[in-house]
Amino acid sequence: MNPSASVEVYWLILPLVIAISLVYSASRHESWRRIWWHSARLCVWIMGLLVMATAILLLINTQA
Amino acid sequence: MTEPSVNLRNPALAALLAWLIPGAGHIYQGRIGKGILYAICILGLFFIGLIMGEGKIVYWRWVNPLQNPEKFPLYYLGQFFVGLPSLPALLQSLLERYGHAPILGGFMAEPSQNALNALQNRLGKLVEIGSIYTCVAGLLNILAIYDAFDGPAYQDETSPDAPAVRASAGGIPAGGSA
Repeated sequence: MNPSASVEVYWLILPLVIAISLVYSASRHESWRRIWWHSARLCVWIMGLLVMATAILLLINTQA
Repeated sequence: MTEPSVNLRNPALAALLAWLIPGAGHIYQGRIGKGILYAICILGLFFIGLIMGEGKIVYWRWVNPLQNPEKFPLYYLGQFFVGLPSLPALLQSLLERYGHAPILGGFMAEPSQNALNALQNRLGKLVEIGSIYTCVAGLLNILAIYDAFDGPAYQDETSPDAPAVRASAGGIPAGGSA
């Protein structure tokens, strides 16, 4: 697999994170306003953590 | 804080329906929007994952995980909870176990090791990503099944868009059993 293809694979995390945050939020609340709000926050949190972890791993990897 | 209640109708039947077809239990309870949301998210993830693996990543084989952990299809433990869409794998493995030929053109039958290796070489990471998609879809459906059985976890304030049916027969307060 070429490097550009392996980078494109990272985009496949997005639908997964969106689905996880929507289903989790829907199982917590009954009101749509709360479901959307909770889901948006959760999505941002998960993506933020993933981006941070990836950045740290890349940093470690390039330092070695 | 007011306690909106959700009419869960028959919670056991709703949970069974939610397992069989993600979202169906909620539609049975009249929670149409939620049912559609669960169906789109869970079935969407499952079928996108299945397509990524060219339909060969959902299968079951009868092996003892303690004796042969490498051969144990761990992903199927999650995939099973998607319900009806993943049941052909179980059916095919039962047929094989009792010496019958696979049906449905071998759909979700256990692929040979050569076929799996060829798939891995051709598709690379997509095989693993597809397996993760299908497995996560099943795990998410556990949340949906529980929601169908016991209602949402938090007691939201009454809102006009929530399909709350206050204290009707069979109505159970959201967030726990009565």
